[in-house]
Amino acid sequence: MESIIATFHIDWKIIIAQVINFGVVVVVLYFFALKFLIKLLNERAEKISKGINDAKSNAILLQKTKAEYETVLAKARTEANTIFQEGKKEAEHKKALMLEDTKKQVSSMIENGKKTLENEKIKMVAQAKGEIVSVAVKIAEKLLGERVNTPLNEQTIKELNNLL
Amino acid sequence: MEINLSQNISHNTTLFAEPVFHYQGFAITNALLVSWLAVLVLMILALVLRFKLREIPNKLQNIFEIIIDGALNLCDQVTNNREISIKIFPIAICVFFFILVNNWLGLLPLGGFGIIEQAEHGLVFIPFLRGGTADINTTIALAIMAVIGANIFGIFSIGIWKTFNKYVNLKVLGQIPAKIWKEPTVVIVAPITFFVGLIEIVGEFAKVASLSFRLFGNVFAGEVLLVSMTALVAYLIPVPFIFLEILVGVIQALIFSILLVVYFTIAASDHEEPEEGHVDKVSKIINNI
Repeated sequence: MESIIATFHIDWKIIIAQVINFGVVVVVLYFFALKFLIKLLNERAEKISKGINDAKSNAILLQKTKAEYETVLAKARTEANTIFQEGKKEAEHKKALMLEDTKKQVSSMIENGKKTLENEKIKMVAQAKGEIVSVAVKIAEKLLGERVNTPLNEQTIKELNNLL
Repeated sequence: MEINLSQNISHNTTLFAEPVFHYQGFAITNALLVSWLAVLVLMILALVLRFKLREIPNKLQNIFEIIIDGALNLCDQVTNNREISIKIFPIAICVFFFILVNNWLGLLPLGGFGIIEQAEHGLVFIPFLRGGTADINTTIALAIMAVIGANIFGIFSIGIWKTFNKYVNLKVLGQIPAKIWKEPTVVIVAPITFFVGLIEIVGEFAKVASLSFRLFGNVFAGEVLLVSMTALVAYLIPVPFIFLEILVGVIQALIFSILLVVYFTIAASDHEEPEEGHVDKVSKIINNI
C-alpha cells in the first residue's frame, strides 16, 4: 500500500482539495445552471405534452363536430326533401283543383256565352221579323198604292200576316 | 538553488502530478492547477448559462439542452425509474462535466509552458498544465465521493437498516432459528449470505480502485501517447491522436458518470426485490459504450 502511495504520490490534502473543487462545481453548476435548465426543460416538456393533448382533444372535438354537422346536415336534407315532396304534392293538388276550377269556369262561360248568343239570336230574329213585316207592309203599300181597294188590301195584309 | 541549463532536460511524463509551487507546505500540483482552471471554466459556463437562459434558447443553451436531455434519457435507461434518475442526475452530470473539462484541458498545447527544476537525476521540465484526471488524487477523490455518495443515497432511499444489511447481513443470521425446521439448508445458506455481505464491503473498496485507476489509466495513457508521438514526429502526426484523445475524454467521462449512476441505482434498490433483466440492461448499455 505504501509503495502504491509513494509511486502515485497519493496525497490526502490534494484529495480533499479535489473534493472541495468538485463540491464547488456541483454547487455552482447545479444552483446556477442545471436547476433552471431542468426546470425550463420540464416546463417545455409539459407545454409540449399539453399542446399534444390539446391537439388530440381538438381533433376528437373536430371529429365530433363533423359528425354532428353531418347528422344535422343529413337531417336537414331529409326534412328539406320531405318539405319539398309535401310542397310538390300540395302544389300538384292545388294545380289540379285550379285546373278543374278553370275548366268549370270556362265551360260555364261557354254556356253563358251560348245562352247569350241564343237569346240575342231570338231577339234579333224577333226584331228582324218585326222589321221585315213593317218593311214588307211599307213596300206593299207603295207597290199597290191606289190600285188596290182598301178591303182587298186589308185582306192581303191579313193573308201576308198569316203567311209570316 | 542554481540551475545549470547546459545539462539535458528531462521531458518525461511522470506517473504523478508534479508540484508547481508550494503554499504554506501545501504542494500545488499542475493537475490541481488544471482542476482549478476546470472549476473556473465550469463556473463561467454556469453563470453565462444562467444569465442567458431564455424560453427560446440561444446556441449555447440549445447545446446544453440537447446534452442534458440526452443525459437524462441515458440515466433513465440505467435506473429504469424517472424519480431516481432526477435525484441522481445532478451529481452524475456534474461529474461528467468536471471530468470532461479536466480531460480536455489536459490536451491544451500549453504543456510546453512550465518550469525547469533540479531533480535527483538532473534537470526536469515541469509543465504548468497536466490533465486533472491524469492525477490519481483527482480520480480517487471522485471515486470515493461516488461510492460514499451511493451509500448515502442508499440510506435515504431504502433506509439505514437495509443498507447496513447489504454489508453485515444480520437479518439473514436472525432468520436461522425461525427457518431451521422448515428449511434445514438455511444453516449453510445463511452464513454464506452473511459472508457475501462482508465481501460487499471489499467490493466497495474495489469500486473505488476500479473507478479511479480506470479513469487515471486512460487519461494518463493518452498523455503519454501524445508526448511520445510529439517526440517522434512533431506537429502533424500527433493531430489525429489529439482528436482521439478528445473522444477518449468524452468516453471516459461518460463511463465514469454511468458507473456512478449504476452504483447509485444499485444502492437505492432493495436486494430482496430484484428487478428482472435490469442488470442485463445496464451491462448492455455499458457494453454499447
